[in-house]
Amino acid sequence: MLDSYGIFERFLGEADTTKMQEVLHTNHLLIGYKGQPLIPEVNVSLSEGDIVALAGPNGSGKTTLFKTLSASLKPISGEVTLFGKKLQDYSPTERSSLFSLVLTEKPDDLFLKVFDIVSSGRYPHLGLLARLSEQDEQIIYESLETVGISHLIDRNFISLSDGEQQKVMIAKALVQDTPLIFMDEPAAFLDYPSKIELVNIMHKLSREKRKTILFSSHDLDLLLRHCDRLWVMAPHQPLRQGTPKELVEQGIIDEYFKPIVAKEEFYWMR
Amino acid sequence: MTAEATHITRKRPPIALISIGIIAVGILLFALNLRYGSVAIPWKEFWNALFGGDTSTYRSIIVEYRLPQAITALLAGIGLSVSGLLMQTLFRNPLADPSLLGISSGSSLGVAFVVLLAGSFGGISVSTISLWSTFGVTIAAFLGAFAVLLLILALSSRLKSMVSLVLVGIMIAYIAGSVTDILKFFSQKEGLHSFVIWGLGSFSNVSMAQMPFFAIAVAIGTIASFLLFKTLNLLLLGERYAENLGVNIKRSSMLIILVSGFLTALITAFCGPIAFLGLAVPHIARFLFRSSDHKLLIPATAFLGMDLALFCNLIARLPSFEGNLPINSVTALIGAPIVLWVIFHRQRYTKTL
Repeated sequence: MLDSYGIFERFLGEADTTKMQEVLHTNHLLIGYKGQPLIPEVNVSLSEGDIVALAGPNGSGKTTLFKTLSASLKPISGEVTLFGKKLQDYSPTERSSLFSLVLTEKPDDLFLKVFDIVSSGRYPHLGLLARLSEQDEQIIYESLETVGISHLIDRNFISLSDGEQQKVMIAKALVQDTPLIFMDEPAAFLDYPSKIELVNIMHKLSREKRKTILFSSHDLDLLLRHCDRLWVMAPHQPLRQGTPKELVEQGIIDEYFKPIVAKEEFYWMR
Repeated sequence: MTAEATHITRKRPPIALISIGIIAVGILLFALNLRYGSVAIPWKEFWNALFGGDTSTYRSIIVEYRLPQAITALLAGIGLSVSGLLMQTLFRNPLADPSLLGISSGSSLGVAFVVLLAGSFGGISVSTISLWSTFGVTIAAFLGAFAVLLLILALSSRLKSMVSLVLVGIMIAYIAGSVTDILKFFSQKEGLHSFVIWGLGSFSNVSMAQMPFFAIAVAIGTIASFLLFKTLNLLLLGERYAENLGVNIKRSSMLIILVSGFLTALITAFCGPIAFLGLAVPHIARFLFRSSDHKLLIPATAFLGMDLALFCNLIARLPSFEGNLPINSVTALIGAPIVLWVIFHRQRYTKTL
């Protein structure tokens, strides 16, 4: 049962644990809408260079937690601390240089070029006229290179495949040059080869550029096997965190994902 | 890797070439606007009137009539087009235009109050107030438009989504429209007539004395729009991305509405409600430059708006009528096919590329 998730099959390099700096932590955080908490208090933390997967079935509150951590949504109570300071004490401009987003919603403008989108990630670093310096352009080209889409630079964004669009949004996040990257369901529309590419990109960012990545996913697929730590959520259940191995050994994966596995009954099986 | 990365070859549309073309066409149209009209002026006299010390009637026709009209058309074209671009980007709707939030309906209402009520209750016929009426009408239109603009801004801080804001704008437009209709119902024939004439739009209501004020105001609105280009570009990515990149959504949308609304209010006050320029021109700019970058689009839209307004003004004069054709019908006649073309082209474009 456990091995079918392939949880032990991790081939990430060993993370350097000696200089782990804390990036984010939450303190008695209650998330939800209209004063109704979705899950019990959340107490989690992220360290520098971590790849953390946020897993849970639909409706478990992943997106709500995401929005709360990225300051799109106010918490019901408790607080989020980012680099030693409360999240709400940062100005929008300050926040833009601390974390970047890769979302499921995509720009749909007809003439938006890949270059336009990626370079707009640089805006928080630019002046009133948004003139790109040599160095800025270098950062843009390097980011495109890192995710492997240099050849798409002048293409229209809407003409790209889902996988390519996802890479454009990741390149935009890289150009933004933030220590923390949030990715909401980055693998949702990707085919299998693109998922592997995504894992490789995340690995590269974490190990080479010391980026901290928090991503969500609604099923226990490939991505979950390649994270350093896992946050698992289920409706009305407390959020549990740990390495994938720990969570499997404690039986938490089984407990939280049993409802999903149990539902894998098709009518012809009955 | 770094060295390779710098050698990424970029292919861009010939921006400089297209820009020069647009400006050249603008200059040509401006000259044609001075040259052609209901009175035929021979070339030699035309030249003399412009550059010689000629004081004939030709000169007064050109300098006192055609020149202010051409400048007004040019400025109105710039302002309305830029205002329309702002609306289209803010609401992420290709069919948004400057009148979307009910601002021009507000100015209609303002004019209705002055023109229709003055006629009905004051007992003054429109001909007697015609001396101050042009300026009075301008003031009334501006006040009406600005009242609606302030109302929209006040309401926008309470609304969460852009869609509800558009709905509020449309409702305000309906209310203003029905009040205008009620005023029409109670007004007298002469008042009604001049109200209808105002509604057809005209580029010939701005005198040379008012021109500096009009020009400076349009320039301020256009420059303010340009300075918003970073925000506008970020809004194209979607609200959450924009927010993450440091945009305060609420404050920015209010600022965009303020600038766009100011331009609309200003131009509607001086020229009457002018349809379709603000809707069509941003599309032409996008398709011509194949770009959505507002740093390029705002100047492009401004110059193309200038061209199209001058062209419409020329067409309006073409039949050598005593006066001009109503400008509003000409802009719609030329603007509507462009919008149709965009709709069909957009469909094809999304499919093929």
